[in-house]
Amino acid sequence: MRVGIVGAGTMGAAHAAAWRSTKARLIGCSSAHQSQSDQLAWLHGIRSYRAFTDLLQEVDIVDICTPTATHRSMVLEAAHAGKHVLCEKPVALRQEDAEAMVRACEGAGVRFFVCMVVRFFPQYRLAKDLVSEGKIGNLTVLRLKRVSYPPRKKVENWYIDETRSGGMIVDLMIHDFDFARWVGGDVERVFARRSQSDQGPAEYAQAILRFKSGAIGLIEGGWAYPPGVFRTGFDLSGSDGLIEWNSDQPGPVDVLRAPGAANAAAVGLPVSGIAEDPYTIEICHAYDAIRTGKSFDVTAEDALQSLRIALAARESINTNQPAIL
Amino acid sequence: MRIGILSFDHLHAEIYRENLRNIPDVELVGFSHEKLEEGAEFARRSGLNWFRKHSELLASNLNGAIICCETARHRELVEAAADAGCHILCEKPIATNLADAKAMLDACTRQGVHFMTAFPMRFAPSVTSLRAMVQKGDFGKILGINGINHSEIPTGHRTWFGNRMMAGGGAVMDHTVHLVDLFRWIFNVEIREVYAEINSLLGAPQVDVDTAGLLLLTFANGLQASIDCSWSRPTFYPRWGHLKMEVIGEKGTAVMDGFAEHLTLYSRGAPRNPSWIGFSRDPNQAMIEEFVASIRENRPPQVTWQDGYKALEVALAAYESEKLQRPVRIGSNVGQ
Repeated sequence: MRVGIVGAGTMGAAHAAAWRSTKARLIGCSSAHQSQSDQLAWLHGIRSYRAFTDLLQEVDIVDICTPTATHRSMVLEAAHAGKHVLCEKPVALRQEDAEAMVRACEGAGVRFFVCMVVRFFPQYRLAKDLVSEGKIGNLTVLRLKRVSYPPRKKVENWYIDETRSGGMIVDLMIHDFDFARWVGGDVERVFARRSQSDQGPAEYAQAILRFKSGAIGLIEGGWAYPPGVFRTGFDLSGSDGLIEWNSDQPGPVDVLRAPGAANAAAVGLPVSGIAEDPYTIEICHAYDAIRTGKSFDVTAEDALQSLRIALAARESINTNQPAIL
Repeated sequence: MRIGILSFDHLHAEIYRENLRNIPDVELVGFSHEKLEEGAEFARRSGLNWFRKHSELLASNLNGAIICCETARHRELVEAAADAGCHILCEKPIATNLADAKAMLDACTRQGVHFMTAFPMRFAPSVTSLRAMVQKGDFGKILGINGINHSEIPTGHRTWFGNRMMAGGGAVMDHTVHLVDLFRWIFNVEIREVYAEINSLLGAPQVDVDTAGLLLLTFANGLQASIDCSWSRPTFYPRWGHLKMEVIGEKGTAVMDGFAEHLTLYSRGAPRNPSWIGFSRDPNQAMIEEFVASIRENRPPQVTWQDGYKALEVALAAYESEKLQRPVRIGSNVGQ
């Protein structure tokens, strides 16, 4: 099948590399920023399209890696053109947008996959499997951490514009809201607080979830660390055991350098496993499911529910009351 | 200097016995414990003089008394110790309700004795060094604080921790007070509001208290902090638990682990395998030394009744928040 990528930034580049591991033919890319698209096309020996519409006509699958605010219109256009769709998370800025996207794809009979990549990180997947196997009994309390530094893209730093990305809570914390649902089931209510810097885009938030099961969870998220520092972790406590992991643990290869030499990427990506790139696992999974007609491991409903929790967390911050889901 | 330990109900009594023995001019007169079978066992294990009545120990001319009974009985023993003219070190939380806590202060004021709350983590080098950095302004504007005081369920050591009447609550009562005290001390600001989610899903036998709690606090200056006070470490964890704090600031983040200095020991047949054995100085030792020094120097101790009371207020407000499902203002008459 022929694949095209829209958006040639951090995620477009990660997905392009991942598509190379599939049997699909990555034929082209496009971007609102012509030079970024040209550069990505050159790197992978594919064509750089001036217009999304032109790219759309020549592919079977379109992979949307553009700023979140554009997802709705692009997914709708792709669905109307009868193309299968992969869409970066968060699925959309608003719940009604996400619902319209799901409806459009269902109506057009095309597959719709939202790239909730954390589910493809080997340590998160293993933790989920261990919980499902009953290794720690019933989940009682969980902690999830995802704190990075403020995105600092030189061209168009759209992440820090809440009207385009949904802000840190919707863009970043959504990963852990999704993981929390995946291991803990439905969420009943959320209470959250956020603190923002006066001098820049730095922010830090804490959200407490109450699950229908009675379990509780603390989700910590932020663009708050010095450039280059990205820490993630989980702590899943159950009636019969405990699972701990955090990115401070020694890696398979840790390179020690003179301090001060850090050259932080524009947008931080968390550590995964050494041999398995989660973006590749994710794209291979999505492609395989589309090719064979099998169901996706992450459904559009999952993406929608994680967005609902993120939006509820924002509502709770504004009202200083728990938001009921 | 003559010190006595009133009751061995709290497992810390055994640690304090060790701490007191390390101070040269202190005579540990003995301990009192009114439950006869337990008292005999503690006497055998500790090698201390055992007084079958608290009143007998209090009649033996003590300068200081350490109160280690069940939390609900603190008031009774604090009042008796104050009446006997003893300065007091009281285990945390200082009471199960604010009325008892206030009565304890009244008794001490009336008799002119000092009351110290047992918050040993103030004396941990990790905490004192973090506090120095915060007070120097090393992290710039602080965006948030993340506090963790995890442990195993303590009922395997003492069953009364799982009894609502005796302990006044579970994990929230047991652990919230430590972190609240550290927050107040490090950041020099009072807590204004608390929101809490609490559950009792651990399902241990004979436990009628909460076993997990997550709190979000707002300080008087608007600063936000979380507390995870859960009994969420399994009883087969390498250590009883831990106390951690992260301070996230505009100019840097501090990651503190109060018990970071440890070895990992694998030992055939050990109850915890592996186990983490600490090699930093026991903060309880410095706390007990401060109690003794405050008596010797006839001055108020560094940790006061007020500190114990403020921490208790937040724990009680957390239960109130859980009940009301909304944030609760501190000092709004909860837990009376």
